[in-house]
Amino acid sequence: MAYTLQFGQVTPYLWYMAGGAWIALQLAGIAFLFGWAIGLVFAAVSEYGRGPLRWAVRGYVIFILNTPLLVQIFFIYFALPDVGILLGSYEAVAIGMALNASAYLTEIQRAGFRSLRRQELDAAETIGFSRVQTIRYVVLPHIVKVLFPPLSNQYIILTMTTSIAAIFGVEELTGRAYNINAETFRSLEIFSIAALYYVVLTFVASTVLYWIGHYFFRVQGKVF
Amino acid sequence: MLRLLLGFALALVLVGPVAEARTLDEILADGTVRVGVNPNLPPRALFNDQNEIDGFEPDVARAIAEKLGVELELIQVGSPDRIPFVAAGRVDFVMGAMSRKAGRALVIDYTVPLHSENYGIVTTEESGIEGLADLNSPDVTLVQVRGTTAIPFIRSQMPEANLLLLDNYTDRDRALAQGRADASFDGIDSMAFRLSVFPDRQWKIIPSPEWGVTYSGLGVQKGNYTLKDWLNVALYELHADGTIEELWEKWFLAPMATQVPFTPYF
Repeated sequence: MAYTLQFGQVTPYLWYMAGGAWIALQLAGIAFLFGWAIGLVFAAVSEYGRGPLRWAVRGYVIFILNTPLLVQIFFIYFALPDVGILLGSYEAVAIGMALNASAYLTEIQRAGFRSLRRQELDAAETIGFSRVQTIRYVVLPHIVKVLFPPLSNQYIILTMTTSIAAIFGVEELTGRAYNINAETFRSLEIFSIAALYYVVLTFVASTVLYWIGHYFFRVQGKVF
Repeated sequence: MLRLLLGFALALVLVGPVAEARTLDEILADGTVRVGVNPNLPPRALFNDQNEIDGFEPDVARAIAEKLGVELELIQVGSPDRIPFVAAGRVDFVMGAMSRKAGRALVIDYTVPLHSENYGIVTTEESGIEGLADLNSPDVTLVQVRGTTAIPFIRSQMPEANLLLLDNYTDRDRALAQGRADASFDGIDSMAFRLSVFPDRQWKIIPSPEWGVTYSGLGVQKGNYTLKDWLNVALYELHADGTIEELWEKWFLAPMATQVPFTPYF
């Protein structure tokens, strides 16, 4: 039974899907920024903190890393209203993804702190660097160089994870693809186009991240 | 239709050569009638506390088996395979929201209707919604399940309303109960049963018969007239003495939204 691809039936929806891709990009950006900021603080606490605070952060990270994102968002979206916290679809997904990303980004950034060697700091002190100079010329260049590739990967993963938002009523790329599918029944065509949009999103992000890494932080690497 | 045919073809591969349906005499001689029910659509059929199949359809099937004077064997079917099951003769007749459709009637035969299937609005007393006309407003949020049949109708007839699309009916129910949306326009038959898990809301279910009512019968193998003719008489009696409505209200916790008109001519 030969199936004839009919892309003509779905081309009227290209802009509609592009709107969904834009929402996916926003969600990934928000989740990454907040996840990165929380992760930075938590990584510092994990490495240099003591006592209950450190244990609380470790407990949080272990809990988040070992439960599925879908379950976490489900809890935020459907369980929190029973204690009086009613978040909208977009907010619930953005918060869930940011909290989830924060645990991964804690571990990534913790590895960055760990990669600093005592000798580097000793050397900086020997040649008379001030504290600010040490951070600016020794610590940051080292950490950024180590962290840039895994952080970029995490951003790409987040972009694709946004497809989970469709389950919670966010009309992002996957949700819109489902909507068009229900009206046109052209599943193969629609999901091929959705996949193409995701490839474009991640390819553009990869390229931009590569240039930033290459020119600002002298990270060695390739897009392909 | 494509899915139906594919499912049918798959079932043929799975069950081998098409078995001839059993005639009424063969069922009587065997002493057991085999009935397909779908436990994925509570309360039509469900698994009870003893993990046995129970519900509206099993109760009706029991009443039919009693009239026939034979044992009842309930066989689980799902939405995609319920028609292949009866078409291949694996069950004598099938239940499970078998709404009559011309495409389906090409493959199986239907008895007279067992029950109606109704669309309508599910909302709460506090929403102030009285009918379809109240839904087309920017102040109204409708929650629906992505990809279901009512959505194109809502998009064209209620363009002003906000639309929240969720993944499944359980999520839809919870979103309604939590106040994420004001109403939902969809099948209403099982709503009183479904919403009984949220007793603290003042639920209001408004049938919309203007959207169209469909009728579900029992599905029998194409051409099995001996069984179909007998089932029609049995269903007439069960309608006439009120058994079907009584069992409906027992399981669906509300009267059938559109009564099935029954007549001695069929």
